Amino acid sequence: MVAFDYALKLSNRFYIRMNDLSLGEKLFIQGGIAQDLRSDGRKRLTYRPIYVETGVIPQANGSARVRMGGTDVIASVKAEIGRPSPLQPNKGKVSIYVDCSPTATPMFEGRGAEELSTELSVALQRCLLGGKSGAGAGIDLSSLIVVEGKVCWDLYIDGLVVSSDGNLLDALGAAIKAALSNTGIPRVHIAAEASGEDQPELDISDEEFLQFDTSGVPVIVTLTKVGRHYIVDATSEEESEMSSAISVSINRKGLICGLTKRGGVGLDPSVILDMISVAKHVSEQLIDRLDSEISAAEAVEEE
Amino acid sequence: MRGLQLPLTQTQKVRLQRALEKLESLPSKANSNASVTVADTIPVNYDDGFLKGHGTTELSGEVVATVCGVVERVNKLVYVRTLRARYKPEVGDIIVGRVIEVAPKRWRLDINYSQDAVLMLSSINLPDGIQRRRTAEDELNMRGIFEENDVICAEVRGFQHDGLHLQARSQKYGKLQRGQLLSFPPYLVKRRKQHWHYLEEYGIDLILGCNGFVWVGEHVEAKDEMLVDQADKPDSQTPKTIDYSMSLEGQEQMYTPLETRQNICRIANAIRVLSMLGFIVTVEVVMEVVNLGVSQNMDTHQMLGSEFCVLVAEREAERRSQKKTKG
Repeated sequence: MVAFDYALKLSNRFYIRMNDLSLGEKLFIQGGIAQDLRSDGRKRLTYRPIYVETGVIPQANGSARVRMGGTDVIASVKAEIGRPSPLQPNKGKVSIYVDCSPTATPMFEGRGAEELSTELSVALQRCLLGGKSGAGAGIDLSSLIVVEGKVCWDLYIDGLVVSSDGNLLDALGAAIKAALSNTGIPRVHIAAEASGEDQPELDISDEEFLQFDTSGVPVIVTLTKVGRHYIVDATSEEESEMSSAISVSINRKGLICGLTKRGGVGLDPSVILDMISVAKHVSEQLIDRLDSEISAAEAVEEE
Repeated sequence: MRGLQLPLTQTQKVRLQRALEKLESLPSKANSNASVTVADTIPVNYDDGFLKGHGTTELSGEVVATVCGVVERVNKLVYVRTLRARYKPEVGDIIVGRVIEVAPKRWRLDINYSQDAVLMLSSINLPDGIQRRRTAEDELNMRGIFEENDVICAEVRGFQHDGLHLQARSQKYGKLQRGQLLSFPPYLVKRRKQHWHYLEEYGIDLILGCNGFVWVGEHVEAKDEMLVDQADKPDSQTPKTIDYSMSLEGQEQMYTPLETRQNICRIANAIRVLSMLGFIVTVEVVMEVVNLGVSQNMDTHQMLGSEFCVLVAEREAERRSQKKTKG
């Protein structure tokens, strides 16, 4: 009985650890956000230093690792030959899946992270892939076609959360963008034409690679509402104080590719519009910063 | 310093490398004979009886170290103390901990050790200041004193049969509010005479817990012992506690003033940079880093950027080499 109690206390402790802040600390965080000076000195709309590494998984077609403060995520892209769906014969297929590793917190062990993983995967799919018909996708699916109606590339994008300190969605979005710009799709030659339902013979080159075009890939900006103010790039302490959060994916042209709202508190529509315009303003700097970090990372990789 | 996770440019990498090499080349004060690596023989006088402690093993008749560290001898016990060990409490250590559980007549705190520490109800000063026997009503009102997730500063009293006991008998110890708690590896805080620092020019309390938890917060005057009626207790809660029923404006008036907050954030960032680089955290070093940040006219959040990290490493290398040439 004693052993069982002890085991129960141990498991309860890990759950308590996730959001354990005293009232004094919570007040301090809320006060900081209200006064535009957060716990680490950042302003409300300042990101933490972003550290990008590309090519971390050599076996994949493209991969990247992004670190934002304590948050550490890895994204990898694998391309395989497949058949396009009969409903959309001129588009390739992309599937996104996120896994949260138990190295981030013990809570993620076993099935603990299932809910979070599904939520992140769905949010990323919505932000990057658009609707079921493929319209409005941030990633251009028609560039994945080899032979219309018969052969296309299937992209499998996997994300892994290694360490979590808030703002997972933004970090994963940045990692996927970096991984896609690092992706090389092998060049395919059609060896023999085939008629009707037969698959044409393919000659997949090992040497020549086509770089994936990522100018249209959006970035994700998450705005967390604490009290009356919004902050960008929240740490996990700040996220525990949030009332609601909106994640917007915006591309280089300033167009919104996807939108997700989290958190139980209801928001007035004017507040949502305000948050979207703030996100758009932040995204311009973020896109520039990410692009320069990604090109710096690729330059390092080539050395 | 494992894996500095910052975007460093090429020149910054070179500068950082140079500063770290300079630091490593400085001879350390301690007797270099005492440090051992794995499979080094430990010099022991085999005629005297001696006990082999942690980190040692007997290999073909010789006492050999199994870990990298420093050889310590206590009477007849010979053991190897690792440098990056888990926090090991000693009697009299000042630590900062977080309440996990409120149990009958005691609180359990998490202090970054392998067990939870215990703070007995009888080991704290009651809020009304009277020295008296704890009654059943005191036991029922324990949550009014310390709740779950509160941050508390206390002193290690000793190991008892049921665990590690703490005490918070002085006015300096107790609940910590209006500030932030930082956590980093405990080996970066060395035991000194003073762990509780009041930085007057900033109006900030800095508590360097030996367990690697550091509290940076607004200065709180040690309360005078007042007589408060038990019945009035809920009303006379200090006005600094949050009340969710209060309006947003009322809460805003209770926020820390901007000037103090700026200083708290600077000091916290200085400690974060030092722990990222793996340097020992003491008040003097922290103040130097803060002054360096101010003199460079840096925004507070830029103190966590790559340029400042490299500057701190260089400054520390310079400071230590100067100390060597002086003393």
